[in-house]
Amino acid sequence: MTASALAFGYFAVVVMVGLFEGMIADMINNGTGLVMGQIQVHSPDYLSDRSIYATMGEAEGDVAALISEIEEDPAIIAAAPRVFGGGLASSGTSTFPAILLGIDPEREPLVSRIANVSSGRLPRAGAYEVVAGAELMRRLNVSLGSELVLVAPAADGSLGNDLFTIVGQFNSGIPEIDGSYVLMAIDDLQVMLALAPGRIHEVVAHIDDPWDAPPTAARLEESLREVSISVSVEPWTSLRPELVDYAKLAAGSQWILIVIVFSMAVFGVANTMIMATFERRHEFALLLALGAAPSGIVRSVVAEAVSLGLVSLAGAVAVTVPTLIWLHYSPLDLTSIFGGFSMVGTFVNPVFRAEYPWGTMLGSAVALFMTALVSALYPAIRAANVSPATTLADR
Amino acid sequence: MNLRTLIILTTLSIMIAPAGAAQSAREIVDRVDQLLRGRSSRGAFRMEIVTEHWDRTLEMRAWSLGTEYSLIRILAPNRDAGTATLKAGNDIWNYLPRVDRTIKLPPSLMGGAWMGSHFTNDDLVKESRIIDDYDIEIGFEGDRDGTEVWEFVLTPKPEAAVIWGRIVEQVRKDDLMPEWARYYDEDGELARSVTFSDFRVMGGRLVPAVMTMQPADKPEESTTIRYTDLEFDVDVDENFFSLRRLRSAQ
Repeated sequence: MTASALAFGYFAVVVMVGLFEGMIADMINNGTGLVMGQIQVHSPDYLSDRSIYATMGEAEGDVAALISEIEEDPAIIAAAPRVFGGGLASSGTSTFPAILLGIDPEREPLVSRIANVSSGRLPRAGAYEVVAGAELMRRLNVSLGSELVLVAPAADGSLGNDLFTIVGQFNSGIPEIDGSYVLMAIDDLQVMLALAPGRIHEVVAHIDDPWDAPPTAARLEESLREVSISVSVEPWTSLRPELVDYAKLAAGSQWILIVIVFSMAVFGVANTMIMATFERRHEFALLLALGAAPSGIVRSVVAEAVSLGLVSLAGAVAVTVPTLIWLHYSPLDLTSIFGGFSMVGTFVNPVFRAEYPWGTMLGSAVALFMTALVSALYPAIRAANVSPATTLADR
Repeated sequence: MNLRTLIILTTLSIMIAPAGAAQSAREIVDRVDQLLRGRSSRGAFRMEIVTEHWDRTLEMRAWSLGTEYSLIRILAPNRDAGTATLKAGNDIWNYLPRVDRTIKLPPSLMGGAWMGSHFTNDDLVKESRIIDDYDIEIGFEGDRDGTEVWEFVLTPKPEAAVIWGRIVEQVRKDDLMPEWARYYDEDGELARSVTFSDFRVMGGRLVPAVMTMQPADKPEESTTIRYTDLEFDVDVDENFFSLRRLRSAQ
């Protein structure tokens, strides 16, 4: 019973931490993968006020050269150029503010999920087609095939405006994004904003492990500077520091969980050991009467506790590891019960996928042994100090 | 920029009899404010916009009726010619000739720049009387640079839905012509200023034919409006300010 309590404590801590780490990983993945990307490249003065004039590149071909340089970095899986415009989307008597995002329809799906249309298809260059967020389309009361008037201040001071056809819809689950973004081919937006074809606002780069973004960004900025391209390269950790803070907070809270669970286990195991040694006091008294050293009694009880820890750990690992593997590959999907929600500006699905918390597994194993040892020490000392004469006389 | 907006921005820009000494600041501003709201008006003006990145000049024609209706149509340059803005009640519509569509501006965009200038849509649509929204005091009265002037300090009333924390205007005493107006934000920082010049009689009234708006955070930028033609109490009615008229070339 005591062994199973310890094993359950280990199981509970490791699985909960695994699920927690899975949730944080999903949150970072959603936060960086939807629009922002893991690494962004801009003109050095773009991020301060996102001015339409703070562009990279001048001549046609500059964009391709920049993308090529960025993809030279071994950590970069893909990179995609973007142009931004702030304007209005209008249909009938409805008009709403919109963020106009010019994308390369072939590259954008490699760096973000905003181009993953839930219905329809991506826009073609030169065809004046757009993909709009589901919430914006609902507000404008439009559907696939509808026409959309887009208006935005152009770089030459004129009022850029054009008529587009909606050919696709995306539904990220984040109302702020679904209610404001309109995607179109980068060339079409450059024409509307009176920007030369070589001028873009952003390149988004995708890497395999989001936590590798800071060193990759620093390396990329340096390598671009070496080929005389002066840009600012930002990892997601500096663009969305609150996500990093949340991940750190979650990691810190794991230790609280470990302390609580194993503190409870200490008292449980100590209680069991005290009861067990009390019931065996005649045995210890007899051993002492026969000349056994008190330290030998302590070693005996502690050895039992270590055995208990080993059995508990073996049982715990035997149950925990398969559970983690199962939850990693077949996560618990509670979407049908709870639906999705947004947290720290990112969309969170109630899908409980576990990561493998190796550090916690090791730490919990140590904690399990320490629990067994610490909780056995006091009963062991008590057992070593029983009075043989009094105990054997049953007084 | 329509004529009514000029009226709102300048507050005081028409010749009236010099105000008596016994008149309060509120009475002076209100009297002039009321006189400025001609029944209707029609005019033509040029808007010269200077920014850090580009300069451009728009030529426009405008009509207004009371405080509720106005129509502005861009005549030049070619890229924007035909673009028009209609205000009817609280609604603002834009006509875009390039796509032959009208769009209705949402209330949330009232603070947005109008046609790339340093004037906002709110400047265009605002229709309440100055004295309804602001408490008015005389901040200074006397000689400045050889001219007798009043400096009016307009402080928003607690319930007023206005964006400025304070407006300060200087008005000449002899002909009630405004010389400048400064707009301060809620933190008391200067946000923008308007200067008035080239006072002349147009449409039978003395008006400042030129006014220049300058944002405080970008002193190298400005928008200057130069009136070339101005008529008051012209023959237009509510039917004139229709969506059909907005789309028409006339």
